[in-house]
Amino acid sequence: MSSSKSNKIVKLESSDNKTFEVEEAVAVQSETLKNMVDDGCANDTIPLPNVNGKILEMVLGWCKKHVDETVTGDELNKYEADFLDLDQADLYGLLMAANFLNVKGLLDRVLQRVADMIKGKKPEEIRRIFNIKNDFTPEEEEEIRLENAWAFD
Amino acid sequence: MSDTHYTENLAMDPSPDPADEFRNWLALPRDVTASILMRLEAFEILTSAQMVCSSWHNLYKDPSMWRAVHMRKPVPLWEFPYDVEKMCRNAVDRSCGQLVHINVENFGTDELLRHIADSSSQLKCLRLVRCYHISDKGLSEVAAKLPLLEELVISYCFLSKEALEAVGRCCSHLKSLKFNSRELWHFKYDEEELAIAIAENMSELRHLQLFGNRLTNDGLQAILDGCPHLESLDLRECFNVSLAGNLGRGCSEQIKDLWRPHDSTDDYDFKYDLRIYIRYFEDLDDFDVYDDPTY
Repeated sequence: MSSSKSNKIVKLESSDNKTFEVEEAVAVQSETLKNMVDDGCANDTIPLPNVNGKILEMVLGWCKKHVDETVTGDELNKYEADFLDLDQADLYGLLMAANFLNVKGLLDRVLQRVADMIKGKKPEEIRRIFNIKNDFTPEEEEEIRLENAWAFD
Repeated sequence: MSDTHYTENLAMDPSPDPADEFRNWLALPRDVTASILMRLEAFEILTSAQMVCSSWHNLYKDPSMWRAVHMRKPVPLWEFPYDVEKMCRNAVDRSCGQLVHINVENFGTDELLRHIADSSSQLKCLRLVRCYHISDKGLSEVAAKLPLLEELVISYCFLSKEALEAVGRCCSHLKSLKFNSRELWHFKYDEEELAIAIAENMSELRHLQLFGNRLTNDGLQAILDGCPHLESLDLRECFNVSLAGNLGRGCSEQIKDLWRPHDSTDDYDFKYDLRIYIRYFEDLDDFDVYDDPTY
């Protein structure tokens, strides 16, 4: 990741017109941005119309932390754990941003966080948490229940 | 994944305040939803997640969602009102031969193993944890059906050198073996023979974990000699091994990542996570026994 252009700055603009300037080493934690840099398309401000300023700031904070050589392994673990203590709106935004920007470590963590929210819950609870409509017909539901009759009575 | 809208600076209206935005979790890209949903354990999927809505149900019909199956029964000997073996077979069937990784924990028979091997010739990783009804004979018989096996985990099962010999002989790609036996003090097997079985049949090993094994220095030397590509070696709680002297030196030279007999076991990965089963036991009084995750 270290290159002779390590002093280069990448400029980003969020959907709500906030601009961010970060070192290239930070920006290329995003595979998407890395590709742009490699293709020589990162000289002007890069607009990110599907990432808002609040979320972009969080993502860049993550990226900065992960190139900071003064951060210890334990500190990083704690940072990552605290980072994901978010409300659902931010989690959703972060998921979309991490996916679009393709920040691998962050994406993996967020995916796992969402999976952890589903674990241990019955279908009704999962629907409530994620605002998902039960769109099975009563017949379909019955069919599924019969197909998956694992319980001993 | 890179978009091409970096050519001009588009004037955009500010996006809505996130608090007001209607988050439609079903509008996530399919591959993102799949990445989330495939992280659930098979029990969770079959009893809950696949029944949330039709789009999740359809997603779970795709064989690629079943490439890695993690099937755990909460406790090995306790009565559990679900036919976990049947559920596991169903999970394997859903993979339509694409199964690459399977974890069978606290249940399992030779018959299940046969079913897995018959339908999953591409299996790369087989994990058997507390599978008290899987025998040496059972595993030996299926070894030849798993030519692509790279990783084998046997933890607290009644398996010994016979199974390892068969797997070693049939699975020439085997790179990682974990054989852990700490809990089964009453299950006698010959540690020396086990070490020889590994040394003579698993020459391609890169990673070996023999947690709580009564391995001797001779056995360890045989392994070091027989497995020249070994990079990581976990000998925690192998209290018959002494790494002072030449053996220790040889170990340090050959092995990149070494865990010594008395090293900390904090990150040892065979701990229970009962959270996903808690909802089924709300009525049961004697649940507290399982508060201790090292049970």
